[in-house]
Amino acid sequence: MATPGILLALQDTTLAAFIRGDVPGGEWAFPIIETVHVLALATVYGTVAMVDLRMLGLVSREARVSKLTGELLPWTWTAFAIAVISGTLMYVSKSDTYWNNPQAQAKFICMALAGVNMFVYHFGVHRRVAEWDTALPPPFAARMAGGLSILLWTAIVFFGRWIGFTT
Amino acid sequence: MFRATAEQIAASGLSHRLQEVPWLVPASQSTHIVALSVLFASAMLINLRLLGVGIGGRTASQLAQTLVPWMWRALIVLLFTGALQTLIEPVRQFVTPIFWGKMVLVVLLALLTRWVARTLRDNAAQWDDAATRPAVARVFALVSTLGWVTVIAFGRFIGYVWSYYA
Repeated sequence: MATPGILLALQDTTLAAFIRGDVPGGEWAFPIIETVHVLALATVYGTVAMVDLRMLGLVSREARVSKLTGELLPWTWTAFAIAVISGTLMYVSKSDTYWNNPQAQAKFICMALAGVNMFVYHFGVHRRVAEWDTALPPPFAARMAGGLSILLWTAIVFFGRWIGFTT
Repeated sequence: MFRATAEQIAASGLSHRLQEVPWLVPASQSTHIVALSVLFASAMLINLRLLGVGIGGRTASQLAQTLVPWMWRALIVLLFTGALQTLIEPVRQFVTPIFWGKMVLVVLLALLTRWVARTLRDNAAQWDDAATRPAVARVFALVSTLGWVTVIAFGRFIGYVWSYYA
């Protein structure tokens, strides 16, 4: 599939050139943005993994699911927003390359699937969380959502790191 | 001195065999990121609680009881994958000053975490209550946060600066 015109146009902006390191002063832009991305994704992955493992009934078994999600998800979403901003900045710097990169494509498919999984959980078994907040093991639908989530997010990390070796 | 050692390692049979597996470095680095995420998120949750940031949830001692064992497990994975990457590309690591800076920081942070985790466990009531929490708890939380951020930043920057020293 051909790279959309808007991505090609974004790649031609001065901002994109700066992030690529093609403009004086921007030599360290990409590594700095990438470091911010790593710190943000570490917070996302770490907090998501804690919730997922609790939904699988493996860790923090003494804590209520609703207490754990209330405590962790605000950090997950804050860090996710930072990861999206830093990721977008890196993407537009070489959008033609990333659009056509199989690892980047696989990463975005996994992110979409993780989103669907979260949506199904949230509007499904999570609506009745009060009934199974302390149940061990948690209901099958919750274990399923937790298992899928940790698998997908691990794949996202692997595909994400792999992009750096194929571009 | 470091360079000579690195070149010796790079020339060894084991390093050569590992260098020939093309997916090993990407796979090891990805595993490294998964493990650092567990360690970093755990450290941040405990530190934020000690700083009094965030609402509701568990106390600092409850968080530490659950999360510090996971930090040690993650650290083992980090040391293993880091050692593997160093075995495959020893020169890249050994000639880069921030690699050594990172190693020193990791040792100091691990010792500091061990000390705080024990103190927190033995003085849970005092440390969990913001009114009686000693100032050293806040100092630790700030040092630990800044320290792990620096470790991650150094780790990412090794890949960008090592060629200046090679």
